[in-house]
Amino acid sequence: MEIKAKRLSDYLNKELIFVKHTYQGKEELFEEVNQVAFKQGFVRGDFLERVQAREAEFPTGIQLEKIGAAIPHTDSECILKEFIAVVTTDQPVAFKRMEDPSQETKAAVIFVLGLNQPHSQLEMLQTLMSVLQNNELLTELLTSTTAEELIDILTNATIKGEK
Amino acid sequence: MKKINVLVACGAGIATSTIIMKKIEDLFKENKIEANLMQIKISEAASKQENADILISTTMLPTTYRIPAITAVPFLTGIGEDKLKEKILVAISEIQANK
Repeated sequence: MEIKAKRLSDYLNKELIFVKHTYQGKEELFEEVNQVAFKQGFVRGDFLERVQAREAEFPTGIQLEKIGAAIPHTDSECILKEFIAVVTTDQPVAFKRMEDPSQETKAAVIFVLGLNQPHSQLEMLQTLMSVLQNNELLTELLTSTTAEELIDILTNATIKGEK
Repeated sequence: MKKINVLVACGAGIATSTIIMKKIEDLFKENKIEANLMQIKISEAASKQENADILISTTMLPTTYRIPAITAVPFLTGIGEDKLKEKILVAISEIQANK
C-alpha cells in the first residue's frame, strides 16, 4: 500500500508558529524555537547547538524578489518528531545567504525545518518554495497576526498546490 | 550519447537538494539528456567527483573541484531560473562534446 505523502500543512503546529516576534538576532530566534520544540518533544537536547552550527557552516538565507527568508535545518538524527516552525519577525533578522555567505539577507519570514526523512518530502518542499515565490501570499503571511491565521494561509496554499 | 553523471548537493543533503533534484530531472527530461543523478551533502562532493561529470549545488562551494560546479539557488527562488537552466545545458553540452 502506498503511504500518502505528508503535506506542508501536516508539519505545522500552533505552538511552533511565532507571529511578529522581535529578535536581537538569529541566535535568539533559534533559542525561542528550540525552547518550545524541546519542551514539546520535537527535538533532542542537541538541536539548538546543531542547528546553529549548521547555519554557521551552511547558511540558509534566501533573497527573494521583495523580502528575505531563511530555511534553517539540521541533521535528521536530532529531530524526534517532524515539524516546520514558522517565524515572522517584527524587524527582519539578518541571515547569511545560502549561495554566498559574504552577503546577508534580512529575513522577514523564517521556516525552521525539522525533518528526519531524507529525500521523501519533495511535495512539501515544493509547496514551501512556491510559497516563497508568491509575493501575494508572503504579504498575507507577514501581515497575519495570529498563529491560526498563518496556519490557514499555509493550509490553503497546500491545497492550491495540489490542484 | 553517453550518460552524464551529476552530483546534486546541499549542506545537509536533505532539503534543498531534494527540490533541485526534481528541477534537474525535469530539465533533463525536456532536453532528452540521459543522466544519473546522485543526491549528496556538499562535504561529500570532493571524494565523489572522481566518478562524476558535473556538480550542481545550492550551497556555496567550499573548495574548487576538478569537475564543473554550478550553484543553483535560482531553482529555489525562481529568480534567474531560465538563465540557470541555460548555464546547466551549456555545461552539459560541453561535457558531452568531450566524452
